[in-house]
Order: sequence, then structure tokens, then C-alpha cells
Amino acid sequence: MRFRLEKRPEPSRLMVYATPVAAVLLTMIVGAVIFSLIGYDGIGAVREIFLTPLTNAYKWQDLGVKAAPLIIIGVGLSIAYRANVWNIGAEGQYIIGGLAGTGVALATHGMTGAWILPLMVLAGVAGGMVYAAVPAFLKVRLNVNEILTSLMLTYASVQLIYYLIRAPWKDPMGMGFPQTRMFSEAARLPTIMPGTIVHLGVPIAIVVALIAWFIMSRSVFGYQMKVVGAAPHAARYGGFSENRTIWLAMLVSGALAGLAGVLEVAGPFQRMVPGFPTNYGFTAIIVAFLGRLNPLGVIFAGLVMAITFVGGEVAQTTIGLPNAATGIFQAMVLFFLLAGDILVRYRVRRVAGNRAVGAA
Amino acid sequence: MPHRLELTSISKRFPGVLANDDISFAVQPGEIHALLGENGAGKSTLVKMIYGIMQPDGGEIRWNGRPTVIASPKAARKLGIGMVFQHFSLFEALTVLENIALGMDGKIPARELETRIRDVMGIYGLLLDPHRTVATLSVGERQRIEIVRALLLDPKLLIMDEPTSVLTPQEVGQLFDVLRKLAAQGCSILYISHKLHEIRELCDTATILRGGKLVDTCDPRQETSRSMAEKMIGAGLKDIVRVPNRTLGQPKFVVSGLSTIKTGHFEVPADNIGFTVRTGEIFGIAGVAGNGQNALLDALSGEIRSSDKHAITIDGHPLGLLDTTGRRKHGLCAVPEERNGHAAVGEFTLSDNSVLTARDRLGMVVLGLINGGAAKTYTGKVIAEFAVKALGPGSTAGSLSGGNLQKYIMGREILQKPGVLVVSQPTWGVDAGAAAAIHQALVDLAAAGSAIVVISQDLDELLALCDTLAVINMGRLSPARPVGEVSVEEIGLLMGGVHGAAEAHDAVPA
Repeated sequence: MRFRLEKRPEPSRLMVYATPVAAVLLTMIVGAVIFSLIGYDGIGAVREIFLTPLTNAYKWQDLGVKAAPLIIIGVGLSIAYRANVWNIGAEGQYIIGGLAGTGVALATHGMTGAWILPLMVLAGVAGGMVYAAVPAFLKVRLNVNEILTSLMLTYASVQLIYYLIRAPWKDPMGMGFPQTRMFSEAARLPTIMPGTIVHLGVPIAIVVALIAWFIMSRSVFGYQMKVVGAAPHAARYGGFSENRTIWLAMLVSGALAGLAGVLEVAGPFQRMVPGFPTNYGFTAIIVAFLGRLNPLGVIFAGLVMAITFVGGEVAQTTIGLPNAATGIFQAMVLFFLLAGDILVRYRVRRVAGNRAVGAA
Repeated sequence: MPHRLELTSISKRFPGVLANDDISFAVQPGEIHALLGENGAGKSTLVKMIYGIMQPDGGEIRWNGRPTVIASPKAARKLGIGMVFQHFSLFEALTVLENIALGMDGKIPARELETRIRDVMGIYGLLLDPHRTVATLSVGERQRIEIVRALLLDPKLLIMDEPTSVLTPQEVGQLFDVLRKLAAQGCSILYISHKLHEIRELCDTATILRGGKLVDTCDPRQETSRSMAEKMIGAGLKDIVRVPNRTLGQPKFVVSGLSTIKTGHFEVPADNIGFTVRTGEIFGIAGVAGNGQNALLDALSGEIRSSDKHAITIDGHPLGLLDTTGRRKHGLCAVPEERNGHAAVGEFTLSDNSVLTARDRLGMVVLGLINGGAAKTYTGKVIAEFAVKALGPGSTAGSLSGGNLQKYIMGREILQKPGVLVVSQPTWGVDAGAAAAIHQALVDLAAAGSAIVVISQDLDELLALCDTLAVINMGRLSPARPVGEVSVEEIGLLMGGVHGAAEAHDAVPA
């Protein structure tokens, strides 16, 4: 008995939604097997990573706080990837956004006023856009691959943090620690529920996703992104400039990564520290794909990835799983998702080999 | 003598369709046998089974009288069955000899192969330099490589799939000479085509398929083109209905000094092209594929913008600097040759494909938002008026057959009532019934006062449709001539690159 892939006449709507779920389930199964084989409590690891964050109500606020930046960045990336613009450097744009917001916070230190936070947000968004503009410019003018440039700029941005917090922005009262001073009250993102750590960034993430969904499904802008990604030649015939699309895609995804960065530094961190880059920008790539490049899907995908972050921390303390385990699980989700995507366009059919398959 | 090839009750089923249903016919040694039918009639499937690419679900193939299972193309070649495909598989950067060597089943030393190639070419009068790079060859010459490749195997049956669709009339004549010589030496030829006059000229027998079934096996010389066409489509053929004694109006669409820059290595750019189309006129541009038609269409549609705003004008308005959207707003619509991925997006629904080109002309966009309802209504109208076989506006373009997608695309542009419509290969791969409908729609659009440019490789189509004709060769356009005053031979010479007169660009259509 053999199996054969056969092209479907129409892409399967069911598989579009089924394969992300299947990818997560497969990750849990294969993860349990692998971690058992290398001597950990594999089933316990999967339980702690995927279930504890959901069953333990105390962890829900953590989920929201971790999911918010993933959703905001993931939404931006889902827009860019629709247009086949491969911005891999959201982490860098997130960092520059955080730094730009930090700059405003430090410059306004000690001042009060409701204008400070909006100004920080604007600075963060602008910072992300400017940093994404570099790969866009290089791509449009010199046809340099945006995957490479945006990725490499991420490493440059990390060094920029280290420089700024060791020299010009170092906390004068910080006893030599490489970090900025705590932001003043006016530069901190307020929590929306008293007694929790859930900050304003969480509802902002949901609103961003909803707005993006509306724009992508209803507007000419969304149409342009999709048509350039699906058929560049047809897009040109339809009157959409490829270069303008690259600019728009990079700037939008950079702006949202920058927004996530400034919300993160003004919310959970409230100062710039060396540990600010937490790979949200990279994990958001998985979020974008797991969410099917659909802003509504990104909300759920962001939650799934947040679960693995929170659960990974739980598993570290309860069953001594190494920190890298989280990354392994996240990578497995992406791997199984991309592999499973073939089922959207193809179906598996059993074909008779040399022998009859009557028994099967 | 046994039949060379005999098919008995051959059937082949695909999910959802019976592609071949109980087909039986025989090919004699030395016979030129036409296989005739519309797209989707089952010709390709049948031929693929004879050449071993697919296996029949039922029925029997006999080769020289013996029941045979043809397991693979390699097995077919071993039996003596050769095939020349419609789409060539040649490496442009390699020489003729290297290409042929790559396609051989066994390893043959280059020198020996060259000797054999020269022998074969000598016998059949196929002129070709084995050391030329394929990229420098015309389409006709490229086809000769494929024929030589097949002849090297000393075939007893040669299958030719739509061989003349890319050739000039002179090249067609040369091909027929070769095929007749082959047949005279006992090689059978299975000739797939939908060009009926060619079949009447060349073939001894014609087997006509329709909807997967065999309709008739006849002697094409006893038939008329019309009678065979009607058997093919299973209904009476409609003639193009024209308004009698119509006169053409004022110059509407004027192109002058239009050139494009060479982009790809093997791309032919448009070179200083000029012509005038009057109100109500259908202007044809003939030419062999790859002579700059694609560049010309892109330059006319606005995908390639000109640096001279007066290079293209409609009713005196200069459009040269505008992009496709800007030109559409001025009434210039275009349909490129490639349907999937250029004229339409396969993954998108038909509704979304309507947004691609009709959004501004038909007010489908309000404040940057797409009015999905308007797109859907318009798409429904296109589907209804052009008899597009689709489940509805929500079907993806990729799920339509080639002919239906073409009907949709032509309908999408024609119902926008453009002042000027430029189309490339309007009926390429479209069945006879649909082609007649598209032709009628173009004639009606012209009668309503539009100026139409048709770029096509199909001379019959241009002669039937156009008022005026010019030929594009190596990116340059010949002077335009009224269709009634020009002979097929003359056009053929122009297509082959022989420009009779030097006054190429200052000529004005009479």
C-alpha cells in the first residue's frame, strides 16, 4: 500500500484552520517523547508547559502580559508576510522602539503630564519605523535581501542598548549597574486591573489586532498587500507598485514592533535593562504563521506562544527543565505547522501498489 | 498488414470526470492521422496513455497487432513511439547538440551523435546548425530540435501536439514537407490540432473527440472545416455578426515612438512602435511568439511606463507617463497573454479578481475601503453575460478551466466598456464555442465605438476579426494594412522578418 499526494481542486478551508491545531498537538506529543528519551519527565514537561498556565488562574495575568507584545508584533509581521516582504528583524525594531521610548522617558524625567506617555508611544512607533526603513531602502534601491539586512540590524540594536545603558543613559544612582534609572510615574504604563500586572498594553494589543483585521480584509491597502504577495505580476497589472508595497509593509511591521517595544519598556520593565531583548520579535514570526497571517488568528497564536513562555518558566522550577526547552517547543510548533501546510493544497490518497489493496 | 497502433475501448477516469470514455480507433503504417477536439475533449489524456505517461483504466492498446502495456515514456520510445510536445523542454543557454544529447536515453559519444543528427537532418531537409545556442533560434528552429530528437530514435509513430501554433505560415509549410516525407517512409503520425484547414491539407484520417467520447472518424478531405468544427463542438457554429457597411471613425488611440528597455537576457523589447486605431476599428498585431509582444502589451497597459507622455494618446490625451490605474481611468484597459498570475490571481476569488482591474472604473472603492458587494454584483454579471462556468463569484480563479478563466477575464474588461481595449491572445487555449463568443463580444465593443488592439499569433483569428493588420518582428512593427488588401503569404514573410519596404514607421493606415 502506498500513499500519494494529490492536488486539491480548491485549497481546503478546513485544513487552513486544522493544521495549526494539529501542529500544537503534534508538538505536545513529540515533545513528550523527546524529553522522556533524554531523561526528563516528558509528559510532566508538556503538562507544565501547555496546561499549567491555563489551569492556574494566578498565571492568567502573566499570559496576558506576555501575549500582548507577541500579538502586536505578530500582527505587523502578518501584514508584511502577506506581501511576501520578509521582515525577520522585528526584534531589532522592537528594541529601537523601546530605546526611543526610553529616551523620551529619560528626557522628561521628573516631569508630570498626560502628554508624556503618548509622546513615548509616538517615539517608539517612529523608532521602529526608522529602523525598518533601512532594510526597505536597501531592498528597493539596491535589491538587497531584506531577510539578511533586517536580521543583522537586530544584532546592531542589541549593542546599542549595551552602549546606551553603560554610558550616556546609565542610572547615576545605580551603583554601577548597566541600566537606566526607573522611569517617573508619568512615563509608566498604568495597570488596568488593580492588584495585577496587567497593563494598558494588553487591551491595546487586542484593539491593534481588530483594526488590522478590518484593514486587511476590507481596504485597498490590505488588498494590495495580498495581491503583491500572491502574484506580483498581477499586482503590477492591477496598478500596485511593488516598491511602494515593500515600503508600506516594512514601515507598518516596524511601527508595530516599535509600539510593542515602547509598551514593554513603559509597562513591565519601567526602565531599560540589558535583559530587555527577550526574543519577542523572533517568537512573533512563529505567532504570525501560526495565526495564518490573519490578525484575528494572531491573537490566538500569541496566546499559545505566551503559554509556552509562561509554562517554560513553570517547568524550570517544578521539573528542572532547561530554559532552552521553551525555544525547542516553539520551534517544533513552527516546524509542524509549515510541514502540515501541504495538506491545505494537497490531500493524501491511498493508491494501490503492485498488489491489490482489498485487505486494507 | 496489422495496424500500427490500435486502441480498443480505452477509458480513463479522473476524480470527477471521465476523461476518455470507450475510445477505439486505429492508425495505419504511414498514415497521418489527426486527433481533433476542443480543450478538455480528452486529446491530451489519450496521447499521454499512448506515450506511457499515464495508464488507461480500461481497454487495450495493440502495437503492431500485439497487445502491449506501455509502462513509461522510455518504454514508448523503445517501441518506436516518439513525441514532440507543444511546450519545448530545451535549455536556452546550451547548444542544439547539447540539448539533444541530454534528452537521449542511452549515452552516445558527442561525435557519433552529431553525425547521426546531420544524417537525419539531411534526409528530411531540416536545416539546423548543431552548434548554435538555443537562445538564438526562432521558435520554428527550436521545434526542429525536438523533431530531430524524436527522429533519432527512428520512430514508427510520431505524436505531434499542436505543432503549428507557434509557427509562421512558411514554417508550417516546411514542417508539412517533413511530415509527408516521414509518412512516405512508413512512419505513422498522430497529429493533434484544432486548426481545421491544416488538417484538411495534411491528414489522411481524422478522429474527432468531444467530451471524452469519440464522435467520428472521417476523411478530412471529404469534410469542410465547418462540418468538422461542428462535430467538434457538437452544435452549429456561430458566425461573427457585423454591422454591414460600417465606416471607421476618427483616430482614437495613437501610439508613436514607443520603445521599452531590454530587461531579461532573452526578452525582446518593443522598438519604436507606432500605429493608429480609429473609433470602431479592430487593429490586429500578428507575429511569432517572442517577438516583443509581451513588452508591447506591458508598455500599452502601463505596466511599463514610457518616458514620453505623448507616446500613447487617447482622443489626444497623453497617457505615456501614467501607470495602469491612471490609464484605466482614461479608458485604456488591457488583457495580457498569461492568465494565471498576470491577468488574474489564482488564489483569489473571482470577486477579488474583479477588484484588481475594475475597482476604480466601477466605483468599488470608497474612502480606501473596498465595496465587496459591488465587486460581487459585477462579477455575477460577468459570469452571466459571458457564460463562465463557475460556481459563483466566490470561486477561486485557479479552480476555473483555462477557457472559462479567459472568458471571465475578457468579460471583466469588456463590461467596463473601455474606450480602448488591448488584448493579447484573446482565445489562446479556448474552445471554439467560447472563442466565437469572445470574438463576437470584441466586434460588438468596437461597434459601440471603442478602439481595439488584438495581439495574436493566430493568423486565422486576426484575419476573421480585424479591420487592419500589422506584424511585429524583433520588436518592430510593420506598416499597417487593411485586412482585405493583404495576402497570407505577405504576412508570413513579415512574420519571418522580411520587411518588404523600408517605410516601416511613417506609414499611416489608409
